[in-house]
Amino acid sequence: MTDATTTHVPAPEAVAEFVGATKRFGDVLAADRIDLRIRRGEFLSFLGPSGCGKTTALRMLAGFESPTEGEVLIDGRDVSAVPAHKRPVNMVFQHYALFPHMTVAQNVGYGLRQRRPRLPKREIELKVAKALATVRLADFGPRRIWEMSGGQQQRVALARAIVNEPKILLLDEPMAALDAKLRGEMQRELLELQRSLGITFVLVTHDQEEALAMSDRICIMGKGRIAQVGTPQELYDRPRSRYVADFVGKANIVSGQITGRQGGLAQAVLGNGVKVVLRDEPGDDRTTTEIAVRPEALGLAARDSAVPAGTAVVPARVTHRTFLGDHTEYLLAADGLGQMQVNVPRQAERALGGHDVGALVHVLWPEGTGLVLAVDD
Amino acid sequence: MTQSRARALLLTPAGLWYAAMLLLPLAVVLIFSFGERSAIGGYAPGFTFEQYANLPARFAAFRNTLTLAPVGTLAALLIAYPLAYFLAVKVSPKWKTMLLVLVIVPFWTSILIRSYAWIFLLGGKGIPALLEVIGLDDVRLLNTPFAVLVGIVYGYLPLMVFPIYVALEKLDKRLLEAAADLGTPPWRAFLQITLPLSMPGVLTGSMLVFILLMGEFLIPAILGGGKVFFVGNALVDLFLQSRNWAFGSAVAVALVVVMLITVGIYTRLVKRFGASRDDVGLM
Amino acid sequence: MKNDNTPISRKAFMEELRRYQKGSVTRRHFLGVTGLGTAAAVMGGAMPGLLPSRARAQDIGDRVVLATWPNYHDAANFDAFTDETGAYTQVNVFGSNEEMLAKIQAGGSGWDVFVPTNYAIPTYVEADLIEPLDLSKIPNFDPASFDPRFADAGTIDGVVYGVPKNWGTTGIAFNSDKTGGVVDSWKAFFDGARDAWDGRVMVHDYQLTTIGNALVYHGFSFNSVDPEELAQAEKLLIDVKPHLYAISSDYQPAMRNGDAWLTMCWTGDGKQMNTDMPEIGFALGKEGGEIWSDYYAIPKDAPHKEAAYALINYLLSPEVNAKEALAHGYPVADSRTNALLPEELLNDPIIYPAAEALSPLEFGAAVTLTDPNRAELMARFKSA
Repeated sequence: MTDATTTHVPAPEAVAEFVGATKRFGDVLAADRIDLRIRRGEFLSFLGPSGCGKTTALRMLAGFESPTEGEVLIDGRDVSAVPAHKRPVNMVFQHYALFPHMTVAQNVGYGLRQRRPRLPKREIELKVAKALATVRLADFGPRRIWEMSGGQQQRVALARAIVNEPKILLLDEPMAALDAKLRGEMQRELLELQRSLGITFVLVTHDQEEALAMSDRICIMGKGRIAQVGTPQELYDRPRSRYVADFVGKANIVSGQITGRQGGLAQAVLGNGVKVVLRDEPGDDRTTTEIAVRPEALGLAARDSAVPAGTAVVPARVTHRTFLGDHTEYLLAADGLGQMQVNVPRQAERALGGHDVGALVHVLWPEGTGLVLAVDD
Repeated sequence: MTQSRARALLLTPAGLWYAAMLLLPLAVVLIFSFGERSAIGGYAPGFTFEQYANLPARFAAFRNTLTLAPVGTLAALLIAYPLAYFLAVKVSPKWKTMLLVLVIVPFWTSILIRSYAWIFLLGGKGIPALLEVIGLDDVRLLNTPFAVLVGIVYGYLPLMVFPIYVALEKLDKRLLEAAADLGTPPWRAFLQITLPLSMPGVLTGSMLVFILLMGEFLIPAILGGGKVFFVGNALVDLFLQSRNWAFGSAVAVALVVVMLITVGIYTRLVKRFGASRDDVGLM
Repeated sequence: MKNDNTPISRKAFMEELRRYQKGSVTRRHFLGVTGLGTAAAVMGGAMPGLLPSRARAQDIGDRVVLATWPNYHDAANFDAFTDETGAYTQVNVFGSNEEMLAKIQAGGSGWDVFVPTNYAIPTYVEADLIEPLDLSKIPNFDPASFDPRFADAGTIDGVVYGVPKNWGTTGIAFNSDKTGGVVDSWKAFFDGARDAWDGRVMVHDYQLTTIGNALVYHGFSFNSVDPEELAQAEKLLIDVKPHLYAISSDYQPAMRNGDAWLTMCWTGDGKQMNTDMPEIGFALGKEGGEIWSDYYAIPKDAPHKEAAYALINYLLSPEVNAKEALAHGYPVADSRTNALLPEELLNDPIIYPAAEALSPLEFGAAVTLTDPNRAELMARFKSA
């Protein structure tokens, strides 16, 4: 919980803040003491599997749920008791929730028409036209919702939300219903939109690639709690737990014994006796720990080839080899460590040669590779 | 066998069914309507427009029907909608089935028996006796248009409740969240989202009730004490009392025409509200 | 069926309903569809499947279908008939001769025995819908013992089409607690309806009696089809209508629970109500009104003619007929039957009114049944 706040004093850079926000549905703890600051203008994603609490967090922000305990602040004001229709946030719903009895333009202008005192009709028309243009649907205003494709409906939903110039735009799995190709396009469009509008975006997704691709920061959640908050890179490079390491990218998790620590590095003996040098987690003084190492950080070499200095080797046998274009994925049975995965870039494999299934190889573990996981879970 | 012959063959049962169940009786009624009443009653063949020229003699029956049918439909709607809304939106799933069954249960009994129960309720020893306790003396409820209205609303309520219930049940609750998210307080969301999207149910229910009311004769006879005279009562009397089948047929044809006009108006309304296609509601 | 003389308030709902179906609603063909028609069939005493095996000496089939009037039989007699012959009686009740005629006219009524009123018989004969009776199959009919006033109408041009069942009158039933005394004139009836008894008066949903008594009010013949006289009757009826409690031939429930204070009333209904509630009296209009006689007859297309004869013969046996009379309270024209009836019944002024009370009454005329103007008048009255 690196980003957790411990004070109720609102942070000026935060457009919204969860302070110990807890939500119970009967016996179910949907959100458990969430502490999080959402920075003005950032693109933040809640990432996690279904039931992890990410949607509950979003709905507390939107006002569809109010926290059982704790507070939700928007612009420094506690909005826990403010109903959804009075909050300066707008949402793009998972299945868009467009009004089927209204045209595209009527959908987009809906929020504007709810303002009291009323906005002039002309102003609404202009804003709607602008919003439609922004999502590249300029000529679609008179269309009926069912005449629009899935991707177009998604953009209508987007226009319907941004036309209100919300303080925060909430996106609930907005791309779940789109096919892969369209999803990539929409991701880019969303990013551009976020940059040009300067609105804070909060996205809920279970798709780690989507979160990695789009977010300034990602809040990974599990079992109602925040597992870790950070930039995509931080999460990838310095996962604090096995849960995070597993969820963001792939990781080999092995257990080891720390034998010494120095200058951000730690010496460790793996379960099979191999000695490796890892990046250390500052302030950690445990001796038994779990170690995460990314498949692409490791190398492969034939048993008889030379090993660079400082690189540890783990004897292993190739069990599966999957060619994936830019890299080849090897699954190995490593002596004393169980199954490991190593990804070898295409280039390296071309230079050094591949390894057949059944081949006996060395997994190369360069110095400073791998990370001591701070949290056991 | 050619494709078109196969098609014709496949359509034959449906065609026969239509002919036997719908067109044949209608044709008989139509033919009768141009005939005459024989001296001792019944039907005498002929070709005359006399029966149609006589239609104004049943103007009052049409007027009564066309007054009470819309009023009854509207009253049923006003009572059914909140009930359907309650069942579809507010009731927990645990109770829903039971409450729905309770709405249907009266339908398992003949409308005659149920209307008869209202005779007791509205008669002097029923509600008026209770009203007397609070000082309202000599309130007459039975055998009034009001009693007929009560009977109509009571008898046709399930027909109104169910289409509306289905429409509301189908309504995507996220649309209401979307409306709230876009700044709409709940009551306005009801008017702007729930009500328009339940219109197909409202129209279906209203049409069902209205059409059936147009042909109603039992409730006016029982609860109206014979003083409230619908087209249905006129038909019963013409066929069973004065045995003027020719004129009765002309009245029946006129009733069918009025119903067709009504259905026509209904269809146009549906087209207008038809904008809400079901599938989009779930998108 | 009202056959146990217990007050209506103590009757079970279904019982109540069964009697209800005899009224205005009964006349709806609809009834048969609602399934309530079967309640009437049950009155026959048994369903065929429930019957014990019936090996009978005389085989008349297993059923006979009777079309009759409300509150007009003793159900026990049908049970006894079934025991005796093996044929169960399926009973259909109707509210008017017009409706009966309409059913027979339409064909396929399936009836074996029906009960036309005097004035309907000529129309049935004219339309060739009624079977000339073979009196040898009705030995219990003894013409000599019947009062000819109530037996003559069954014979037309020397052919016997109907044998007398009962006779009666159409008078005024009044709740003397509310009216403060006897109401015995149509003048008082119609004038009171618009005055002291506003909202408490019922007229039949039946053109013959309702129009007829309105004619009598004006001093015209009960049977008039004169347009001028009918116009005056119509004016009276339309004037009275807003003040009526109901236009319905099912007046017993409303009279018994006190909602209605006066009604046009047939003899037997008057007797039944008077028996249970002495404050309800029955009087004949002194200006006139209807006297009538009903006949057992057989439709031309009766499917079980042997059974029909057997049933008529059975019901006309003086012992059975006396039981019938005790149950329904209508007078019988058969002196053999009357000999079996208790003295107080024979002296009952409701059932057997004094001769001078009867003298101004008229038998309904055949023309009233088929006159289109009276039918239209009734429609205008009901829809006004």
